[in-house]
Amino acid sequence: MKLLKLAATAALMMSGAAAVQAQDFPDGTVTLIIPYGGGGSTDLIARALANELGRMWDEAVIVENRPGAGSMIGTASLAQAEPDGYTLLVNTPAHATAPAVQKDLPFDPKTDITPIGMVATSPYMAVAGAAVQSDDLTAFAAESQDRPMFFATAGVGTSSHFAAELLIQQAGIEGDVVHFAGGGEAQTNLMGGHADVYISNTASVMPYVNNGQVKPLVILGPTRYDALPDVQSSGEAGADGIEINSWVGLFGPGGMDPALVEKLNADMRAAVGTETFKQVLADNFVQPGVGSAADFKAQVETEMQLWSDLAAERGIVAQ
Amino acid sequence: MDLVANLYLGLETALSPINLAYCLLGVFVGTLIGVLPGIGALAAISMLFPFTYHLEPTTALIMLAGIYYGTAYGGSTASILLNIPGTTSSAVTCLDGYPMAQQGRAGVALAMTAIASFFGGVFGILVLSVFTPVVASWALSFGSADYFALMVLGLVAASTVSDGSPIKGLAMVVLGMLVATIGMDPQSGTARFTFGSLSLLDGISIGALAMGLFGVAEIITSVRSSSNDSIKARDVSLRSLMPTRDDWRRFWMPALRASTIGSFFGALPGTGPTVAAFVSYGVEKRVATDPSRFGKGAVEGVVAPEAANNAADQTAFIPTLSLGVPGSATMALMIGAMMVHGIHPGPNLVTDHPDLFWGLVMSFWVGNLMLVVLNLPLIGLWVRLLTVPYKMLYPAILVMVCIGAYSVHFKAFDVMVVLGFGILGYAMRIFSMPAAPLLLGFVLGPMIEQHFRRAMVLARGDFTAIIGRPISGTVLVITLLILVLSIYASMRRRPADPAAPPAPHIEDED
Repeated sequence: MKLLKLAATAALMMSGAAAVQAQDFPDGTVTLIIPYGGGGSTDLIARALANELGRMWDEAVIVENRPGAGSMIGTASLAQAEPDGYTLLVNTPAHATAPAVQKDLPFDPKTDITPIGMVATSPYMAVAGAAVQSDDLTAFAAESQDRPMFFATAGVGTSSHFAAELLIQQAGIEGDVVHFAGGGEAQTNLMGGHADVYISNTASVMPYVNNGQVKPLVILGPTRYDALPDVQSSGEAGADGIEINSWVGLFGPGGMDPALVEKLNADMRAAVGTETFKQVLADNFVQPGVGSAADFKAQVETEMQLWSDLAAERGIVAQ
Repeated sequence: MDLVANLYLGLETALSPINLAYCLLGVFVGTLIGVLPGIGALAAISMLFPFTYHLEPTTALIMLAGIYYGTAYGGSTASILLNIPGTTSSAVTCLDGYPMAQQGRAGVALAMTAIASFFGGVFGILVLSVFTPVVASWALSFGSADYFALMVLGLVAASTVSDGSPIKGLAMVVLGMLVATIGMDPQSGTARFTFGSLSLLDGISIGALAMGLFGVAEIITSVRSSSNDSIKARDVSLRSLMPTRDDWRRFWMPALRASTIGSFFGALPGTGPTVAAFVSYGVEKRVATDPSRFGKGAVEGVVAPEAANNAADQTAFIPTLSLGVPGSATMALMIGAMMVHGIHPGPNLVTDHPDLFWGLVMSFWVGNLMLVVLNLPLIGLWVRLLTVPYKMLYPAILVMVCIGAYSVHFKAFDVMVVLGFGILGYAMRIFSMPAAPLLLGFVLGPMIEQHFRRAMVLARGDFTAIIGRPISGTVLVITLLILVLSIYASMRRRPADPAAPPAPHIEDED
């Protein structure tokens, strides 16, 4: 009995301390890891987020690019950090796709990382290159029966790879994936007619679509995309089971205090709501993120399951 | 008329006081970073990237670009004076630049590289301003099969970079290719030679490899062979700066050929200044009437790689600006600097933002002029650097190499890679194994492998498809011709061999 009381008191004190910790946060420099090289859309969104948070907290928020291994090098260094909120990371669905092919990660992506919230979201979109005749998915699936298609990806285990595998499977397309070093190279090969289709988020493909270098083929998901109302959705074309969206999310190390996660989620939402940040999102063709920390955690875990199942099913697991 | 109007608009933009100031800042920082071994353009531009939020996009690009091509000017300085390349693309310049310095011609070498850099830069800008739309659409027609053929050609053309034993040279090329296979295989996702280490999954960083192999190995070697006398051997007088009439005679054709080669490789996304420098050096050695001069201080050996890497740095902007496709990590940052301001480079950039495009192009002229004015007087200062005792100079260089290796990916592991390749490089020197072919294999190996495998996927396993394509077929035939010609040449030379001077190892046996 005495022991129980003691434990209860200790627990109370600890949660009290944690609440204080969350309230006082931050008191010092916060590091935001970007697991990609500079200049890409994720990098730009993350830097804008760092700016907004820094202004809100009146503390320095330092950005660190730690690229490599499909975002897993930066994520590994996050996993090793203290879960005190002073080390955070911004990532994309690569957070769920990369672990599906990389089996020797030095951390457990489910327990050693805490999802904090969704910063931005956008649909996936398939774009076609010079060699493709069709203008929508229905025609494209038929065209692929005569001439099997090449799906260009941004690399093994990237979301463009998994989305391509999913579309091939669900829409009954004849095709193979061919891996390039990044989305830029993939789309260059589309323009030159060397490969046929590339799937990525709108941030990655819209600049090329707007310049008329690649043509939009289909929006992945049940509904169309506001910015391109004339482009068919995969649901309309009768391809079910593709209910995925791209996102940019905020993560912390595993084992973060729930009060701190809530505080970070709320502050991130406030940052996302500012006019300057909305402009950055619009410039990158993405929408503000939705949902709570718990929603985001659930979504990340669903995707991890989806991609690792798909990897097993389609034999895309590295030896 | 349009072009004239555009050039005028560009000049107006480039010559505005603020743009002029940032251009000067960019090229100055670039030169400095190029001279310092270890810290490269990528690290410098990454660090300055956040500042571009507060600048006009044109101004921001002018500054970042200045850093980028400025490093190519400065990169050769340490190659020539210390046998330590300031940037990876200047590694080839060590081969003849350092022997020139040892012969007391460091000033000449530096002057020739500054002028060759300017020549290459100007050539590249001409290609950029006149042919951008043509070159861009033409670069798109290069598929993986064509890249594969080109890289094979590059490997064959540059395979003569080392003098001495061809077997040793070949062995080092293969070693370089093997080292390059470390990491995740981009086609299957399989981890190769990583031993479960996440740091190795991304492969060996080229900067760390070059710094170790050339820089640290040079320092270890010099420390062992006490070097006070070699300082005396170095002439630092002003007269030593003046190229002779013979030097000038050897300048023009190599500079012209190398600028063409550099412009070509620069415009192809994914290849770049390092490949250009290697290939142009190899070409000069092949066309030379007396190839044996190379590696012993031939002027062509510094002119060619420096003209090539500067031309490549300029034409790298063709795919970046007109396709919106970054050819390298540095170019991705340039695109980022535009995206920050909501500008998406692509075929419409020239018409939508003519002030940005032409302003940038004209700023390249201004910047290159600044660089040559900046660099020529600095030569005297740089050469004097050699009078600094090694015991003070080398620790400072080592510190900078470590900072440079670390700053690219913020990975302490990369510093260990520098050390590892420093030791390997030293061991290779003991056994007189040349380092340049290893770097060549490291650069070209992965390109050959990845493009070949991708081409095989795209051809559904049909090898003849590679030979059948017009570009790859032509390039492969040229490659074959070079091979046949060089085998024929070596067969003809063979009868003369017994009369050749005895190899050094025979003397050792006495």
